[in-house]
Amino acid sequence: MTIKSLTLPQLFPRPKSSTGIWSWIGTVDHKRIGTLYGITAFIWFIVGGIEALLIRAQLASAENDLIDPETYNQLFTMHGTTMVFLVIMPLSAAFFNWLIPLQIGSRDVAFPRLNAVSFWIFLFGSLIINASWITGNAPNGGWFGYAPNSSTTFNPGMGMTYWVVGLNILGVASIAAGLNFIVTILNMRAPGMSMFKIPIFTWMTLITSILIVLAMPVLAVAGIQLQTDRVYGTLFFDSLGGGDPVMWQHIFWLFGHPEVYILILPAMGIVSEVLPTFARKPLFGYPFVVFAGAVIGFMGWFVWSHHMFTVGLGPAANTAFSISTMLIAVPTGVKIFNWLGTLWGGNIRLNTPMLFSISFIAMFTIGGLSGVMHASPPTDAQQQDTYFVVAHFHYVLVGGALLGIFSGIYFWWPKFTGWFLNEKLGIVNWALMLIGFNFTFAPMHWLGMDGMPRRIYTYAENMGWEGSNLAASIGGMILGLGILVFIINVFYSKMNKQIAGSDPWDGRTLEWSTTSPPPPHDFDVIPQVRYRDDFWFTKYPETISEYFHDDHDQAVPSGAQFDDHDHDPLVVSGGADDHDDDHGHGGIHLPDMSYYPFILAFGIAIFGIGFLTNTYIIGIGAPFFLWGLIGWSMEPVNDPE
Amino acid sequence: MHRVSKLSFPLRPALVLVVPLAIALLAACTPENNQSTFGTAGPIAADQASLFKFIFWIAAAVFVLVEGAILYISIRYRRRSDSDKRPYQTHGNDKLEITWTIIPILILAVIAVPTLTTIWAQQNNVPQDKGEVLNVEAVGHQWWFEFRYPDHEVVTANEVHIPVGRPVAFKLESSDVIHSFWVPKIAGKVDMVPLNNNFLWMIGDEVGTYYGQCAEFCGIAHAHMRFRVIVDTEEDFQAWISGMHTAPDAPIAGSPEASGKNLFAANCSSCHTTDSTTPGSYAREISSQQARWNGWISDIENSGIVSAPNLTHFGTRSTLGAGLKDLTQESLEGWITDPSSVKIGTRMQKHAAVYDTADGTAKLSPTEVSNIAKYLLSLKPGSAPSGAVVETGGNVDGAEVFATNCTSCHSTGDNKIVGPGLAGIGDQAGSRVAGLSSDEYIEQSLREPAAFVVDGFPAVMPNWSHLGDDSIDALVTYLKTLK
Repeated sequence: MTIKSLTLPQLFPRPKSSTGIWSWIGTVDHKRIGTLYGITAFIWFIVGGIEALLIRAQLASAENDLIDPETYNQLFTMHGTTMVFLVIMPLSAAFFNWLIPLQIGSRDVAFPRLNAVSFWIFLFGSLIINASWITGNAPNGGWFGYAPNSSTTFNPGMGMTYWVVGLNILGVASIAAGLNFIVTILNMRAPGMSMFKIPIFTWMTLITSILIVLAMPVLAVAGIQLQTDRVYGTLFFDSLGGGDPVMWQHIFWLFGHPEVYILILPAMGIVSEVLPTFARKPLFGYPFVVFAGAVIGFMGWFVWSHHMFTVGLGPAANTAFSISTMLIAVPTGVKIFNWLGTLWGGNIRLNTPMLFSISFIAMFTIGGLSGVMHASPPTDAQQQDTYFVVAHFHYVLVGGALLGIFSGIYFWWPKFTGWFLNEKLGIVNWALMLIGFNFTFAPMHWLGMDGMPRRIYTYAENMGWEGSNLAASIGGMILGLGILVFIINVFYSKMNKQIAGSDPWDGRTLEWSTTSPPPPHDFDVIPQVRYRDDFWFTKYPETISEYFHDDHDQAVPSGAQFDDHDHDPLVVSGGADDHDDDHGHGGIHLPDMSYYPFILAFGIAIFGIGFLTNTYIIGIGAPFFLWGLIGWSMEPVNDPE
Repeated sequence: MHRVSKLSFPLRPALVLVVPLAIALLAACTPENNQSTFGTAGPIAADQASLFKFIFWIAAAVFVLVEGAILYISIRYRRRSDSDKRPYQTHGNDKLEITWTIIPILILAVIAVPTLTTIWAQQNNVPQDKGEVLNVEAVGHQWWFEFRYPDHEVVTANEVHIPVGRPVAFKLESSDVIHSFWVPKIAGKVDMVPLNNNFLWMIGDEVGTYYGQCAEFCGIAHAHMRFRVIVDTEEDFQAWISGMHTAPDAPIAGSPEASGKNLFAANCSSCHTTDSTTPGSYAREISSQQARWNGWISDIENSGIVSAPNLTHFGTRSTLGAGLKDLTQESLEGWITDPSSVKIGTRMQKHAAVYDTADGTAKLSPTEVSNIAKYLLSLKPGSAPSGAVVETGGNVDGAEVFATNCTSCHSTGDNKIVGPGLAGIGDQAGSRVAGLSSDEYIEQSLREPAAFVVDGFPAVMPNWSHLGDDSIDALVTYLKTLK
């Protein structure tokens, strides 16, 4: 083979070991990468949570001086940045990684090494942003980084440079991961699994990935401009040099609003899997839930200026964005009603994942309703930049995204590990989180209507804000306690293992058809799919007629041929199937491990450090970057044996 | 294969908890709170509040229906005992889908109609039928508000007076970063964006003092960037305007106020104006404020000047430090001694030479601080006609006048502080402006500093006429001796 002659000389041997640190650094297994994402994001979750608790400690009483304003500004900036970019997004990515190949009956993602490089770049980006704590100059301009407060004139420290360099690096990771999952979902489905038979979580992953691929470059535009403003003195957003600070807001929110759906759609996908499983009914109105998700993803691009109702865009723009924002409540409502339809008539088992998912609907509804309130610009004029908005988006992102993610953790944990998380501790975990969450954020609605602005490190005693703030701070502690119980649960359950079978919840989708945890190759035999919820109907073929009896569009007679018109049933992961029969493990062919993704990501991390310190250091990153890039492109998927 | 759940939750107490919390939200309305959006005192805020309540009750109805449905379904269809019953595997219902798509659209249409009419009623031009419009320019600075009345040539800071019942058109500007102008009881906020002037109109319906606060994160003292709107009767407002054109009475010679006045002139006056009562002072203050800004922004580390609130008739104000503290002799002394102990982030200590000490407190004795505070609190519209001067009674030592009043900005050598060094001024002065002798030029510099500004220096020198003719003469004589 000519390819072999082009291979770079290897400085060290290709990793082979399946255990130890090098097996993790070299891994290309989607499940291991999912685990890496999950653990890393959870560590940042604890960091971001501690930041939140410090904020709440400072605000617990009026005129408190526990935390000075500069530190406070750093805390809320890093809390927002961490929770959005280093927690919710990568926790979702952990689920994408673990579940998408399992749900679509594949042995890996389309580009396993690209998957690895996404994680490593994410890891280095997150470390760079947080390294600013060690240098004593954490970002302090808000997670929204509004110009010109983010310029070097008004923000001379290095903090916002760390922030923007870190975000630019994270963006690369997200875009690569997004492309990977789009290609995986479109091309790697098991034979017979047409688009309207894929699990709903996979659908939401597809929509989220498309949003990521479209939205992160928008952030990159703003981010690179801000980076050159700060590092090289360009004047894109600096009003002192004639740059336009409003332009930053337009670009940032043109990214920022689709980002909201990037954060919430995966959780909606999780809930849409958990509810049918524990109600023992199919998802009600599957095509409508899919379509609602797609419409949300599409309309999410036309509402960004509702973050800017008070910027002075004028009544015409405010009218247009008010209407578009209200309309986006319609598909959201459709989802909620379909979830209720799923529960209706079910045989509902209230296990921990189900408790989290039902709470998701309840809390997300509140966030949606307060969202309609500030979709109206005149009422938003009183609510914008107040605690009312803080309450709103925490109901969406904590009551929504985070509860959804915890539901998913309890739901799929037995699949990931082979053992259950403890149910009693799980219910305590859920109850503390839900109670603490409501005590934290419900009073903030009131604080906002009572005129308390966001991002103030203290407030006067005569404003009447003390009681609500104290309640919120106590609620924050309870919420934190709930998270602590989760951590205890993980270790307790690990020490007192309650073994789960391959299908502990009587699941409906393909991931439950393989062992828990799944073998490295996921499926011994690639499944052939006939139905939506194929695994359920395989287990209970007598229920097929119930689902399809009055379905005009997709009547699939029992035992019908699988349709393969959009699919090549021969495709398995890695793409190389030229000599797979020679292998020992039953002809199943997986790509070999590779160090190059790590090396490439390391090079990019050095680039970032160069922007933060000395431009010449970028030159040090270049050899690593090129070594990773060229080595990777010349490395065969599998070494010849 | 099926895991039998031993623990199931028949009721969800935490969900039940949410309902009373939501009810408490409205039941706990405290319109008397200083920044409550419910205790409205003007039509803009009142319409915003009633629109909010309208949407709130619709949302409350949806909330009760949806949360009620969640509770009802979860309880009614929860698994009883160990039933492994498989429910009917229904796939959906198209009619239901269409229904619950259309109903939200109708509800939102009901919300959209008053929303859109309110947008156009509030965010467009001031309606013609509301009475004579008062124009005010509000400028956001880090971290205080400047208010200018272009029609009345009045400039003030942090406390804006408006007449009751008359529409006020605010032109909103920012000199540095984005701020937001918000008086919750009178009108919702509009941002102050550099290079993007905004517009907001409001009417104050009830006489009183209303709290305002910056709502857009603007840096380290964002929490301390507050202001007051004082809604006056029309008579009180006109009296306030005319008071702003009446100079304060000159302090009695030898009084603490007189000493404070000189100390203020020597240490504070290159940034704070106190005499914007005379004709032409309005335009001068705007250009001085711009010059202070230019001076600061061109050399942030070393600048001796910085944008600062106009303190004309400071004694008539009720608050200190941009709405931060009640204005009293005691609080003012605390501020003058160590401003950042009151308001962290204030730039006074970094830029004013008087704070150039190890611990950043003022190079002033407690008596001197007290005198300055007394002087500032004495700044109120006086009885004397504008332009009255302090009579010192002859025999003034020019060197002493210079040492008291001028040394924070001028050296007697060649080095620049804020203004130029004055060595050799007597020789150069005669050639600066054609037609003016050196005596005339120096006197003009003292009495009308803006008339000629030496290239490369900010136009921030205050008018020193108030020193009196004797002091001015002595000063001119003294300056000519500098070599």
